[in-house]
Amino acid sequence: MPEVQGGVVDAAALGAADVGTLIALAQGGDRRAFGTLVEQHYDLIFRTAYKWSGNRADAEDIAQEVCVKLATALASFDGRSAFATWLYRVTLNAVRDLQRAKARRGRNVQALTIVSPEDQLPDQEDAAAAGELWMAVRKLPEKQRDAVLLVYAEDLSHAAAATIMGIKEATVSWHIFEAKRALKGLL
Amino acid sequence: MNDDDEFKGLSQLNVPLPTPEARRRAVGASLMAFDRAQEAQKKISPADQGAGGTERLMSIVSKLKGLWTMDTRRYLPAGTAALALLILAPLGYQLYSTTALTPAKPTIIGVPPVDHTTLPKGPTGTIEPRPEPAKDGTPPVANTLPAANGAYAGNADKVSALVKTETDQPQTGTAPQASPKPADEERQDEAAVLASVNQSPQPSQVGGLAAPTPEPLAAGKPMPAARDVTSVDTLADADANAPVAAQVAPAAPMAMHESVMVPPPAMAKMSAATMGARAATQVTGDKFQNFAESPQKAVATDPVSTFSIDVDTASYSYVRRALNEGRIPEPDAVRLEEMINYFPYAYPAATSASEPFKPTISVFPTPWNKGTELMEIGIKGYDPPITARKPSNLAFLVDTSGSMDEPDKLPLLQRALGLLVSTLSAKDTVSIVAYAGSAGVVLDPTPASEKSKIMSALDNLSAGGSTAGAEGIELAYQLADEHKTDGNNRVILATDGDFNVGISDPDQLKQFIKQKRQSGIGLSVLGFGEGNLDDETMQTLAQNGDGNASYIDSLSEAQKVLVKEAGSTLDTIAKDVKIQVEFNPATVQSYRLIGYETRALNREDFNNDKVDAGDVGAGHTVTALYEITPVGAAGATPTVDPLRYGQKPAVPQESPAPTLATGQSAELADVKLRYKLPGQDTSKLIEQPVTPAMAVTDIAKASDDARWAAAVAAFGQKLKGSDYAGALSYNQIKTLAAGARGTDPDGYRSEFLNLVSLAGTLSGEAAPTQPVHEKPQPPAVN
Repeated sequence: MPEVQGGVVDAAALGAADVGTLIALAQGGDRRAFGTLVEQHYDLIFRTAYKWSGNRADAEDIAQEVCVKLATALASFDGRSAFATWLYRVTLNAVRDLQRAKARRGRNVQALTIVSPEDQLPDQEDAAAAGELWMAVRKLPEKQRDAVLLVYAEDLSHAAAATIMGIKEATVSWHIFEAKRALKGLL
Repeated sequence: MNDDDEFKGLSQLNVPLPTPEARRRAVGASLMAFDRAQEAQKKISPADQGAGGTERLMSIVSKLKGLWTMDTRRYLPAGTAALALLILAPLGYQLYSTTALTPAKPTIIGVPPVDHTTLPKGPTGTIEPRPEPAKDGTPPVANTLPAANGAYAGNADKVSALVKTETDQPQTGTAPQASPKPADEERQDEAAVLASVNQSPQPSQVGGLAAPTPEPLAAGKPMPAARDVTSVDTLADADANAPVAAQVAPAAPMAMHESVMVPPPAMAKMSAATMGARAATQVTGDKFQNFAESPQKAVATDPVSTFSIDVDTASYSYVRRALNEGRIPEPDAVRLEEMINYFPYAYPAATSASEPFKPTISVFPTPWNKGTELMEIGIKGYDPPITARKPSNLAFLVDTSGSMDEPDKLPLLQRALGLLVSTLSAKDTVSIVAYAGSAGVVLDPTPASEKSKIMSALDNLSAGGSTAGAEGIELAYQLADEHKTDGNNRVILATDGDFNVGISDPDQLKQFIKQKRQSGIGLSVLGFGEGNLDDETMQTLAQNGDGNASYIDSLSEAQKVLVKEAGSTLDTIAKDVKIQVEFNPATVQSYRLIGYETRALNREDFNNDKVDAGDVGAGHTVTALYEITPVGAAGATPTVDPLRYGQKPAVPQESPAPTLATGQSAELADVKLRYKLPGQDTSKLIEQPVTPAMAVTDIAKASDDARWAAAVAAFGQKLKGSDYAGALSYNQIKTLAAGARGTDPDGYRSEFLNLVSLAGTLSGEAAPTQPVHEKPQPPAVN
């Protein structure tokens, strides 16, 4: 619970308030609580987006998209799962949406471009994120990729990953198994 | 366990810190969106008040059915959207131009998708955050009824309630909300009610908070006013306590300015750049079984070649789609036999159901390799007259997972199945089961004569969610079983690659399908869309279910597969059809089977009736090509050297009848075909030797069909970069094909010619004789 001073929660107290409180306040329309909540979770969102997309520009796009979405989607968060779990799901959906939208547009662009965008040098960070394993994992089908990254990159249990992906635990294991099989030659 | 090391490296990545600008921009944008959402709720709410609680709730539920889908990305209730647009269009535009992210989303228009995301539609929902409350299927109405008494903490009403607790309340325009009865307009009510459903797990927390902290909430409420001035003013009004205003006010203008000041061109530029980068590395995500081409084999050591026939055509549709989208398809996506078998061939058909095949064999020079010859084996299944067609009992098992929500998936599927239904007669039965997303029986077994009922059930399918629709497949088989006919009983699985049909272990699933097939219910698979397509599983399942896998990329393809070839898709006239060819070492030096790599059988499997093989439907044509090198062929590249020692003793052993009848010694090969009639367990044999009389020395003398098959094979080999492709250019392939087009009543062959041109252009090989119509040749391509 935030500290209460004469009926006013001050900014410091908001900053220290636990997530549940912030969510409740934000759901009730408290702008500052919402802002604080987004601030607090921006890093998590960005990190996830970066791991999934592999470059800063996309990660920033995705993170901003998620933040905007939170403004309306937060009302549907019901506390049944942990906020972080829920946030993962929103983020992964945003990753998927962005990538699909780009894939659709990209195909035609690709057929007509003279200079391959591949020629652009990635910046250093992106180069590090573009390790062979990472590249290979990101190219997996969405579900396999999500399962592998949640379990190995985010270090979650199969059960937690299953909750985030909205599928059964056994299915997560199966996706990972499939991913291993698909990448056999590479690993 | 020990495998886990493979992915260990994934925990190592150092993610860079987000830049402060990006963070500020994101937070600012989200606050803007938050304001929009709050404001939209407030503005819309006073519009329509006074209906009774229960009644309203009922009307919400029924109204939702018609007007809403759970996907907030595309659909909005028309009236609300229009109202929101009127009020918020300028603001929406502002946000749009500052985020450049998702122009079509309701976040921007300002409608509070809060409500959309929580609509009590049950597991059919698809929304950005997957709707957890919907999963357990608890009827939301039950939950909301007590809430209607005002004891709930829904968004707006909670705020109103809190506002009311304040002593001095100068806010304008919010007075109606302060009424204790939740007498708001319907939409508002939905929001409140639904919000209360969502918050129900933590009501005490909300309540506890609300009481001691009225100020922040009250202060938060006026914030939605779009201009900083307003918000600061109202803040000051709401509470004379200066510190509060001071604390909140800076936040608001900051957010406003941050987001407004982001120069849109910069954003757009960034997006364009990242989009480009994506284009180059984008992969489809579709899965194909890897396979190596059948190698050249020496007749001396391997005189017998055995394979199962394959009537699938999915590969061609996939290749066509890829080329039309401007990509060269993955090599493994190109399966030559499926490309060749896509086209109808005019082989003479068998005349009776009891002997349903008649092989047509011809031998002619290989267009891409001087010195070798192609041996074409064509069969056409018996095509029973339409009146004799047995009743069909079809259970559609339809994937309604969120990923199906694309124009080329569920909508196409609906139209495709509609086409199929239109060809059925009153004897036929149709049932529909959805899995993933909205799971369950959509349509109980219904006679195909009740077309409108079936069509409306099809129309009501909607994609959403990724909830595992557990017993989907069992349900479909169960329905098929209930109305089993003596004719064709079949489950038709339509999916974009999500095989989460209830049995998650692939082997178990295969077993299940196999078992059901033995009990008389087959399975066919229709693939849709791309990005998620799991071609290998599709093929495997269809093979286990004695059905075929087709890839539907357009309505005309649906027309071909489900209407024109409905017979061959649905009406099996022979099953477990295997072909075995024994080559004569006296005349043929080596051979290579073109395609059918994934269908190869062991030599001994041919006579083993237990070994499963492909099925042939009514009127289906199947074509197989062998590239053979005749003994002593001039100019042939001797890919397999003759054995110096092994050959002599092998011959007497292998062929104990040394004195061949005259003519027999000149034969090239002996083609044997085994099949079972439907419902029988023992196979029958058809045998036909390949005599020199079947051979022509000039390819121009070969039949149109033969040359066509050769051209398609050449094209497929070239596309997949085959080692045996030879030096034919796309242009030469096109010329060859153009000469063999024949009458082509349905235009399939003409379409192929265009694909060849397209592939030529895409691969950088010019196609000068004829301009490519589909795509103006970009200057970039050399």
